[in-house]
Amino acid sequence: MQQQQEPARASGGSIASRNKSKGSPCQQGLVAHGSVASPGKRKGSPRQQDYVADGSVDLRTDINRTPRQEDESSQGGPAKDYSGPHGPHLPEDIWCHIHSLMPLRDAARAACVSRAFKFSWRCYPKLTFSEETLGLDGHVNRNADARAFTTKVDHILEKHSGVGIKTLELLGALDYNAKDRSYLDKWLQMAITPVLEELWLYLSSVNNKYEFPCLILSHGNAASLRRLHLSKCTFRPTVGLGCLRSLTILSLLQVRITGDELGSLLSSSFALERLELRHCEKISCLAIPCLLLRLNYLEVLYCKNLRIIENKAPNLTHFTLVECKSLQVQLSHLASSQMKSVCMDCPGVIGYIRAKLASSMPNLQSLLIYSSEMVDAPMSSKFLHLKYLNIILRRGTFSLSYDYLSLASFLGASPSLETFILDVWEPRMEHVSASTDLSEPREMPGHNHGKLKNVRIDGFYSTKSLIELACHIVHIATSLESLILDTRDRPREIFYFGTRRENILKSRRALVAIQTYIRPKVPSTVQFLVLEPCN
Amino acid sequence: MATREAGKKMIMLKSPDGMEFEVEEAVAMESQTIRKMIEDDCADTAILIPNINSKILSRVIEYCNKHVPTTGATGAAASDTVAPAALAEDLKIWDAEFIKVNRATRFDLIQAASYLNIKGLLDLTSQTTIDTISDNSLEEIRSFLSTKNDYLPEEEQTIRRENQWAFQ
Repeated sequence: MQQQQEPARASGGSIASRNKSKGSPCQQGLVAHGSVASPGKRKGSPRQQDYVADGSVDLRTDINRTPRQEDESSQGGPAKDYSGPHGPHLPEDIWCHIHSLMPLRDAARAACVSRAFKFSWRCYPKLTFSEETLGLDGHVNRNADARAFTTKVDHILEKHSGVGIKTLELLGALDYNAKDRSYLDKWLQMAITPVLEELWLYLSSVNNKYEFPCLILSHGNAASLRRLHLSKCTFRPTVGLGCLRSLTILSLLQVRITGDELGSLLSSSFALERLELRHCEKISCLAIPCLLLRLNYLEVLYCKNLRIIENKAPNLTHFTLVECKSLQVQLSHLASSQMKSVCMDCPGVIGYIRAKLASSMPNLQSLLIYSSEMVDAPMSSKFLHLKYLNIILRRGTFSLSYDYLSLASFLGASPSLETFILDVWEPRMEHVSASTDLSEPREMPGHNHGKLKNVRIDGFYSTKSLIELACHIVHIATSLESLILDTRDRPREIFYFGTRRENILKSRRALVAIQTYIRPKVPSTVQFLVLEPCN
Repeated sequence: MATREAGKKMIMLKSPDGMEFEVEEAVAMESQTIRKMIEDDCADTAILIPNINSKILSRVIEYCNKHVPTTGATGAAASDTVAPAALAEDLKIWDAEFIKVNRATRFDLIQAASYLNIKGLLDLTSQTTIDTISDNSLEEIRSFLSTKNDYLPEEEQTIRRENQWAFQ
C-alpha cells in the first residue's frame, strides 16, 4: 500500500487521473441527500456544497481548498497561525464535537467564545465533577470545600439543558444532610436519561446514609447505561427495576446492598462483563446467575460477611478474592475450564490452591497470590497452562523457619510457567543471617523446566532457604533468560520500622550471599541483574 | 501492484479531483462509512469520496494504512516479535509526526475523519486542536477557529459571570 499512495501524493505513478465519476447507484448513495455537484463542479459557493451524508456531520465548504490556501500557513505543531474570521474554519457540529472533548473547565471557558459554543456548553456531555475539575483546593477547609462543591455543581447543572449527558461523575466531598440529599436527587434526576452511559457516584463523606433513588433507573432511563460506579450509599434495586440491558461494568464500593438486592439487579443485567464489590458488608451470599453470559471478570474485596460465592456465569475468566480473615467463603461453581486468571489474598489460600485450584481450573494461565504460608505438601495436580505466577509473601509472620524452598513445588507443578515473581516482604533485621551457612545446601527433587524464562525476586535478603530457592531455579530452568534479584528497600517499608542503616546492612548481606552462592551458578546466557540501594 | 499479496481484496477510492487510490479493503474499512458500504455490497468497483481532495485523501489513507490491525500483509513487520506496548508507543510517535501539519490541513483532516467516520483520526485531530487552544485567551480561540464573537455585550457579560468559576 505504501507504494500505492506515494505516487498519489506526488500526483503521478500508478494513480490514474482518469476522471471516472460514474459509480454504481450505491456509490452515488454516499453522496446522497445532497446538492453535491459532480466532481467537476465542486467550486461553487460554500452554500452550494453543503450536504449531509447519512448520519455523519454536515461537511461544509472548504475541504476542497486549493493547495495555495493549504500551504499558506507555516507547517508544524501548535504554531499560532491564526488568521481571524476569514481563515480556515470548521463546521459548527465539528466544533461541538471538539468542545465536547474538552476538560470541564476548558469547556466552560470556551462557552464564552460565541453563541454556538454556549449552545454546545448547554449540552456538554461529560460532566465530571471533582475538586480538581472544579478548581477547589481541597483539604484546606473541608466544610468550605464541600459547600463550594455543592454550589458549583448545582450552578453548572442548573444552566445545563439536561440534554445529551452521557457521563455524570460526582467525585467529591459532600456533607450529608437533608439539603445535600435533595441536591443529589435533583442532579441524578436530571442526568439519568436514556442516553446516559456512565454514572460515577463517589461521595467521600456521605457514609452511606444516602439512598440511591433506584426508581430513576426504571422505565428505560438506564437503557444506555454502560458503567455504574457507586460508593458510600445505600442501593436497593428490586426486580421492578427492569432490564439494564447495556450495563457492562458494575462497581460497588462501601455500598449497603444485600445479596438478594444485588441478585435482582444481576438477574436483569445480561450485558454485564465486569462486577467489582469492595467493602459491601451486607452481602452474605453472592449468587451470579447463568444468564450472565458475558461476565468475565469478578472482583470481591473485603466483603467481610460474605460466606458463599455461587457462580453460574459460564464464561468467567478472571477472579479476584481478597479477605481480611481466613478463607471463609465457600466458592461454589467457580471451577471452570474457562478461568484464565486468579488473584487471591486470604490466609489459607496456599492450602486451597494446593488442594483444589489446579484440578478445578485446569486452564489457568495467571495466578497472583498473597500469603504467609509455606507449601508443606506437594501439589495435588498440575497447572498445565499456567504461564505467570506472582507470589507476594506477607510480612509479619516471618521467622527463620520460613522455608522459601518449599515454593519450588509450584514450579514443579507448572510445566508451562514462563514468568515467576516472588515478592518477599522484608523481615525484621534479626531474621537476616549475618553469615549464611550453605555448606550443605538442600536440593529439591525436580525435573528440568524448559519454559521458565523470567524470574524476579523482590526484597531478596540473606537467608538460607531463599538462596537455595534461587539456586534451585538457576539449576532447573534450562531456558532462563532473565534473573533479577532486588535487594533494595521500597516505599512499602513505611510499614516496617527498620532504619535506613539497617536496610543498607541487610542489602549488603544479601549482596555477599548472592556473589558467593548464586552468581557462580548463573550461566552466562542469562541476563543477571542484582539491584542494590545505590542503583 | 508489486506489493499486493495474492488474495488481498482491493478497493478503489476516488477523489473528486479525479485521482484514484487503490487500497486494500482492510485499510479502507478503517473508515466506518466505507465499511458500511462494503458490507452492504455497494463497493464492487470504486467508491467516490465526494468532498475530500486527493491531497487530504492520500493523508487519510496513509493514516489508515498505519493503523490497520497488524495481522495482514501490512503488518508483516509488526507481528509477534513486537510487544503490544511497543507497537502502541510506535503508533503514538508516528501519530505525533503525522499531525504536524498546518491548521488548514488539520481542519481538513478533522472533517475527512468525521465524514469517513474514522474514530482514531478524529480523536487525534480533535485532541491536537484542543491541546493547541487549551491555554489560549478567548480572542485567540476565536482567531484560531476563524469565528466571530457574536454575543451582544450584555449576553457576553452574563455568560462570563455564569462561568466565572472556570476563569479563576
